[in-house]
Amino acid sequence: MRRAMLSIRAYKRQEPLRWSSCLVFFGAVALSLTASALLLKLHGKPALGGIGILFGGAFGSLWAIEDCLIKAVPIFLCSLGVAIAFRLQIWNIGAEGQFALGAIGATWAALSFPGLPWYALLPAMAGAAFVLGGLWGLIPALLKLHMRANEIIVTLMMNYIAILLLDYLVYGRWKDPLSFGFPMTPEFTPAAIVGKIGSTNLNWGLAVCLVTAVLIWVFFGFTRLGFEFRAAGENVRASRYAGLPYPRLVCLAMILSGALAGWAGFMEASATINRLQPSIMVGYGYTAIVVAWLARLNPLTIGVASFLLAALRVGVENLQLDLQVPAAFGGIMEGMILLTVLAGSFFMEYGLRFRRTS
Amino acid sequence: MKSKVMVMIFVLMLALGTTPAGAKDLQVGFVYVSPVGDAGWSYAHDQGRLFIDKMEGVTTAYVESVPEGPDSERVMLNMARKNYDLIFATSFGYMDPMLKVAKKFPKVTFMHCSGFKTSENMGNYFGRMYQARYLSGIVAGAMTKANTLGYVAAFPIPEVIRGINAFTLGAQSVNPDVQVRVVWTKTWYDPATEKEAAKSLLDVGADVIAQHQDSPGPQEAAQEKGVYSIGYNTDMSAFAPKAHLCAPIWNWGPFYAQMVEAVRAGKWESKAYWYGLENGIVDLSPMSDKVPADIQSKVMAEKKAIKAGAQKVFTGPIKDQAGQVKIAAGQSGSDEELLGMNWFVQGVIGTTQ
Amino acid sequence: MTAELIVPLLAAAIQSGTPILYATLGEILTEKSGVLNLGVEGIMIVGALAAFVVAKLSGNPALAFALAGTAGMILAAGHGVVCLWFLGNQVVSGLALTIFGLGLADYLGTPLIGQTAPGFDKLPLPGLAQLPVLGPVFFQQDLLVYLAVLVAPLLWLFLNKTRWGLNLRAVGEYPDAAAAAGVSVLRYRWAGVLGGGFLVGLGGAYLSLAYTHLWTSGLTAGRGWIAVALVIFAFWRPGRALFGAYLFGGVMAFQLRLQATGTHLPSSLLLMLPYALTVIVLVLASWKGRQANAPAALGINYEPQD
Repeated sequence: MRRAMLSIRAYKRQEPLRWSSCLVFFGAVALSLTASALLLKLHGKPALGGIGILFGGAFGSLWAIEDCLIKAVPIFLCSLGVAIAFRLQIWNIGAEGQFALGAIGATWAALSFPGLPWYALLPAMAGAAFVLGGLWGLIPALLKLHMRANEIIVTLMMNYIAILLLDYLVYGRWKDPLSFGFPMTPEFTPAAIVGKIGSTNLNWGLAVCLVTAVLIWVFFGFTRLGFEFRAAGENVRASRYAGLPYPRLVCLAMILSGALAGWAGFMEASATINRLQPSIMVGYGYTAIVVAWLARLNPLTIGVASFLLAALRVGVENLQLDLQVPAAFGGIMEGMILLTVLAGSFFMEYGLRFRRTS
Repeated sequence: MKSKVMVMIFVLMLALGTTPAGAKDLQVGFVYVSPVGDAGWSYAHDQGRLFIDKMEGVTTAYVESVPEGPDSERVMLNMARKNYDLIFATSFGYMDPMLKVAKKFPKVTFMHCSGFKTSENMGNYFGRMYQARYLSGIVAGAMTKANTLGYVAAFPIPEVIRGINAFTLGAQSVNPDVQVRVVWTKTWYDPATEKEAAKSLLDVGADVIAQHQDSPGPQEAAQEKGVYSIGYNTDMSAFAPKAHLCAPIWNWGPFYAQMVEAVRAGKWESKAYWYGLENGIVDLSPMSDKVPADIQSKVMAEKKAIKAGAQKVFTGPIKDQAGQVKIAAGQSGSDEELLGMNWFVQGVIGTTQ
Repeated sequence: MTAELIVPLLAAAIQSGTPILYATLGEILTEKSGVLNLGVEGIMIVGALAAFVVAKLSGNPALAFALAGTAGMILAAGHGVVCLWFLGNQVVSGLALTIFGLGLADYLGTPLIGQTAPGFDKLPLPGLAQLPVLGPVFFQQDLLVYLAVLVAPLLWLFLNKTRWGLNLRAVGEYPDAAAAAGVSVLRYRWAGVLGGGFLVGLGGAYLSLAYTHLWTSGLTAGRGWIAVALVIFAFWRPGRALFGAYLFGGVMAFQLRLQATGTHLPSSLLLMLPYALTVIVLVLASWKGRQANAPAALGINYEPQD
């Protein structure tokens, strides 16, 4: 590091930190929590108590943890999706739109085949979500491959288009005649609703998530196609010379990426809201990008990171409720935590040497 | 490695535990869909919250920017778990989540704003803003020279459509030739876009701008063009002193106080509370002195008649844009019809989609 | 649509494109140095708030405008610290900055709701303003619009005709080679981040000082994201940014006017226009082969060399 801060100099570690990287993570979180506590103090609220309330809201009870898990599901699925694209160095910012299309697809199936039993209807909904979400991912891939259109801008613009399409449907042809003109579809029939696990509040979407994560991990670690993916991702130019079917890989990555986000939309529509309405869009697709990179695109770490981020957001609500701090406080905290954790990860690969200079 | 992190965090949490809440006061919780800083809808409700916060033996809390899906369910659940006595949810999309939570907590009183469902311990409430809009329409209809009014509107939902219709009927009552042009912005608070929408209406000849938006952006557009404007939510005259004529305004405080008293006295009942001018929940802000005295007195007379129940805004015959009679002569629209209104009256130019 | 409608439409296009233009130019400067900053939305809104506060306190819009840029620069410095010093991932850092900035502005700004502050009013340029069509479109705007139009060619001159600009671009394309030639990679990237943050902050200030004269939470309403998209749309060229920002603003203004004239198309579909058109124009431009690549080292941190 050339920032010659007088006598401190960074050097690259021979080997990246392993277990002690936990310490780095904790150090960074502790630092930003201290800053948040100070902010609370400035706001005239109890500093330590506030942090306690934050944690209590996120992990302090069984239902708090349930809440975090429920909130983590869509973030997790979207994040897995974008991670696949990112691995191929395809910058898919479009999880938000693919999520919307997935929800639209699932809703279309739910509304079109109300008579089907759940074991036929749920797969149909999942399939429709997969197809539409995947399609919304495939379009930017094709535009990139054949028209050389930059995928960042295409996926970003397609997010807006997807949300407006969703609006168009729920304000128009799919509007529930019994909703007194409010923009929402009729409530799904019980067969179209992903059920809860036992007596908990958790739904089976969580199980789908876990299975998907394991499948993806296996896919990348143990299959030939997965190997090609990784090889192509590590060096795009070389992979073309090595005869890897790069265009096909890109299409596949974007289809999978979109489909996973689409499934998140399907889960939200079916399991938690039980219908389609505009407020299904709350920005999980963007959160997913943060989570994916924070977890360094590793499927299992993505799970942990989604949970922790969901926990932070749930915890901040508790802080709002008990201490009457504004919601904006959550944004400030989240931003600070992300920035410090990022900066802290520097120390996983670099150490500091202190030199005494006269 | 990360699992260890989780375990440690978990242990830490259990050690800290949750904080118990005091139980003596009547605890009232509010759920807002946007930040209190939206300057409009949530801000108006929060003014109401602050009003009851001053009451003896009442503590209030709010959670803002709560999305209408599962997040709102969780927030309401948490309020109920923390032994809140009375919970107000102030957005339409909170209706189904609140219904679910209300079933689980029969002892808590739930109040949902702007919806239509009730249960044993869940009521709904709203203000008849259309009455105040009708009055503001009279002012606008009397002040326009071009016979064209512009209306910047957020989302095509019944509440907004009803307001536009009432405004139009008010304007037509003093100026039968008047037409109202509508532009949808699809946002509640984006001042720049709202202002731009107002400018687009001014460009097609509107000379009074009304709005169903949270920000005073449209007011500024009217002021810059040197024409008149009708505010919304609160008196917006500070933003456009030369243009601002009057504003239909919300005043939730007294209603919330009334609900608090009812719950405390054990006299609360589950029903649709839909109050209007007579209750002060909606009102018309003081009119600018640019409004001629005869118009002012006409507005005040209408207000008195509506308050007394002698005059109803949606009294037939009322035709829709296609000229079809929607409310027959001599009849007035029922609350169900008004609640689900999804058509424009004749004289409105625009689409309800 | 008649002629009386087209002139105000074009004028509106310029005005609604201006905040996006400042932000796009800022992001071009940052990205040219090889740093991707997705914090535009957050920086923009902090700039908007800073401008409003300073204008209110000092009564001096020019000072407010300058300090808004400074506020944007300070927030962008956070990105610099994380990415340039600590080699943090640029995508996450930028997104985190957006979350942080939106939160900060909301937190600090809520007490200012319902207040007004002085700002910039229309300033017709003598002589030019009387020109038919061109006058009302270009020369009856406010001072900040004229300034934005000047910033674009100045940025182009800087990037292409000055030594500093060439160095900055070199650092964004081939940092190793630049370093070997004795150019300080870090110093130029810092310049790109801070300078870009300044311009983005100005874009925010335009919203609270000139476009409107008020403050609400979420005043930027996603314009920062549009700017990020327009950088790519513009192929990292200031001139095309000018065109892109005005085009986007114009289509937005157009769909509102289409509604005002009384169309029967659903508003959801009309609102898709600007986004769909951006994609279509981009695809056509890219397809024709006028391909301009991103700076080669964009988003890749420069690791210390020892």
